[in-house]
Amino acid sequence: MKHSRNALSAIFILFLIFASGCSGSGNEPAAEAAKQGQAREIIYASSKDINDMNPHLYSGSMPAQGMIYESLVEKTEDGIKPLLAESWDISEDGMSYTFHLRHGVTFHDGSPFNAEAVKVNIDAVQANAERHAWIKLSTKIKEVRATDEYTVQLLLDEPYYPTLLELSMTRPYVFLSPKDFINGQTKDGVAGYDGTGPYRLADQKPEQYAVFEANESYWGGAPQVKRITAKVLPSGETTLLALQKGEVNFIFTDDRGADGVDVEAMQSLVDSGRYQLLRSKPMNTKMIAANSSSTGPVHERAVRLALWHAVDRETIAGQILHGAESPADSLFSGNVEYADIPLAKRGYDLKHAAELLEDAGWKLENGGETRVKNGRQLALKLYYDAASSSQKTEAELIQSAAKTIGMKLELIGEQSSSVAARRASGDYDLLFNQTWGLAYDPQSTVSAFTAESSYARTTGGIEGVEELYAKIGKVTGTRDEEKRKALYKEILTTVHDEAVFIPITHGSMAVLAPNDLEGVAFKQTQFELPFELMHFK
Amino acid sequence: MIRYAARRLLTAVPLLLVISFLAFLLQQLAPVDPAEAVLHAQGVPQVTSELIAQKKAELGLDRPLLRQYASWLASSVQLDFGLSYVTGKPVWSLLGPAFMHTLQLTAVSAAAIILLSVALGVYCALREDAWPDRATRGAAFLLTAMPPYWLAAWLVWLFSVKLDLLPTSGMDSAASFVLPTAVLAVGYAGVYFRVIRSSMIAGRNEDYVLYGRANGLTERAITRRVLANSLQVAVPMFGMAVPILLGSTVVVENVFAWPGLGNLSVKAILGRDYPVIQAFVLLLASSFVVFNAVSEVLSGLLNPRLRKDL
Repeated sequence: MKHSRNALSAIFILFLIFASGCSGSGNEPAAEAAKQGQAREIIYASSKDINDMNPHLYSGSMPAQGMIYESLVEKTEDGIKPLLAESWDISEDGMSYTFHLRHGVTFHDGSPFNAEAVKVNIDAVQANAERHAWIKLSTKIKEVRATDEYTVQLLLDEPYYPTLLELSMTRPYVFLSPKDFINGQTKDGVAGYDGTGPYRLADQKPEQYAVFEANESYWGGAPQVKRITAKVLPSGETTLLALQKGEVNFIFTDDRGADGVDVEAMQSLVDSGRYQLLRSKPMNTKMIAANSSSTGPVHERAVRLALWHAVDRETIAGQILHGAESPADSLFSGNVEYADIPLAKRGYDLKHAAELLEDAGWKLENGGETRVKNGRQLALKLYYDAASSSQKTEAELIQSAAKTIGMKLELIGEQSSSVAARRASGDYDLLFNQTWGLAYDPQSTVSAFTAESSYARTTGGIEGVEELYAKIGKVTGTRDEEKRKALYKEILTTVHDEAVFIPITHGSMAVLAPNDLEGVAFKQTQFELPFELMHFK
Repeated sequence: MIRYAARRLLTAVPLLLVISFLAFLLQQLAPVDPAEAVLHAQGVPQVTSELIAQKKAELGLDRPLLRQYASWLASSVQLDFGLSYVTGKPVWSLLGPAFMHTLQLTAVSAAAIILLSVALGVYCALREDAWPDRATRGAAFLLTAMPPYWLAAWLVWLFSVKLDLLPTSGMDSAASFVLPTAVLAVGYAGVYFRVIRSSMIAGRNEDYVLYGRANGLTERAITRRVLANSLQVAVPMFGMAVPILLGSTVVVENVFAWPGLGNLSVKAILGRDYPVIQAFVLLLASSFVVFNAVSEVLSGLLNPRLRKDL
């Protein structure tokens, strides 16, 4: 007995020695910070590493890129405002934009931000134009000229009204120090991540954390929160525990939702009195895209309308998403530019849905459960992202409602890339999708209506599609604001009337932050946060 | 003995070749075009057919299959697994650090598992069916039945949040090892100690034990001999524990934000990052083959009769 007891304690001690022998560098940014005066800094949890911070490619974390890099102009609630460009002139024909740059701005490595830097950056983006084809401006830029130290001229092939909007996006038209270029290019990697933004990347341990420090010589004044750490926490449960303990003190939703921490958990942290929860205005719309080009029943407008009436948006927003999103009655929320237009509201109304089907000739025969027309069953396939738990639940709710009106929905969960491939190939009846978000709506989502790789199949089968496409082609070249408004109204009314995009909910951005953090606000994009405006009481 | 070891390790080579070919084939069997997967993985907002064709040529995916395999294998043996589709970085620069992180965790856990299994196995065998034996087995049964993520969450809640003794996650210090190691060790030691216990109990009824007792050997000396014989069963088991651990830390790594192989592989699989997946499969399969060979050599060392078989 005595021996074994000795042996057990020896084992325990040995184990402790072994464990301490394997210690890492002893660098504990998060824990250290949590102890120092309960974090005068922001430590946010992110399910993914910040990845490659090259601003001219797409694998990096957008909120992190937003801290480091800046664009010429900024999209705000009140329209386009100056950022690195103090002012600009647009030529009569809309094909030449002259930007007057802010003086005295430097990159994080000390090199000056000037017209030459703007030129080489835009040229580097254009050198990889195929990759950026989604941003239509990349197909319109003819030349960039540095006319003097602080004046840049951007020449286009044809007038394009969203030019300033697209220049304001998180990427790719943002500016990296030319010293970080490799062989004058950025498409095959960069040597450093020096932008002009309020924060600079100070340290990065891949898959563990990244530290951003305030840029003390920031042209807009040094940010008050001196240090921001992005900590990689893949599991939502651990994030919640780390928030309780104070190892991290800030989370925000990314484009995929609450980043693993559910609404109830966030609410419980708010109830504990240490955190505040803030929500933005709607940023995007979750919807079902219906394949109007299909040869199946979904080609019929009545079928799409019936499905629209069979979606119980209140229950989805309130019960399935716990109030994190709001019911959507149109493709774009009213706060999206050009989208504040009167459109017929189509609520949850199964009786009306059944009437629509009945009138269109879809009949229930011999006590069957599924309606039939010309010997064909009213059966549709609905694809959803298998990785999204809420999509599946929403699909099941819609499926059960559709069943009561004699519409059979087959639910198929696939990887998001497979669903995207179906959207392009047209091999679907219905699939879950979402608009591109506030920074890109309506212009990018609308231009995707005609793109083969996006919604060409969704919109292709509706009546008067040529006319619709012509309007979409015209709207971005229209310089008269009133005409543009009128065109957007017509485009959005057409797709609403045809019910090819069946809206479900509007998603917004949420931030959970310490109670004593002030100045928490949102930008006009779900991919960035204005950390430079935040400060502790 | 050296000849035996060399021959045993050589027989592993054809097996490794087969494994490498299967790992390579993974990409061909996937339902989605790899070039398209790359573009999605790189976050390209709109994937066009021109982009796909361009990517195919860039990655050499338009070459004949066997030529692709040959060039992949030739560079793989030099640890050059190509570039990650998602990050564009060399695969080994991602896999190498992750492998080392998981190896550290695995080494600490394997040590804990071996010590715990042997200690508990011997302890319970000596007290067969007495209450300490029953209590230990009962507790082990309960703990191994718990899903690891659940056990992990409870441990974090108790030791990090409530008692504030340990960090919730990360790989910052020695203290970071305690909880992940505990979760891994409980799962494996809870099973392995039973093997040692039963082989000890069986061993104690052997004739040589009776003979030893008759010759007046002390109980301690007898236990030592029985344990040495029982270890023959345990060595291959422990030998395989290391690669099994290497490949099964996914859950623990995810919960504890451990920047290791598990997290990397899951991310690579979800992102269809084939070069990383292939390298991961190859690395893991090789470690199985190597550890299997090593444990056989060790068993041969312990038991000369085994050496004659080859």
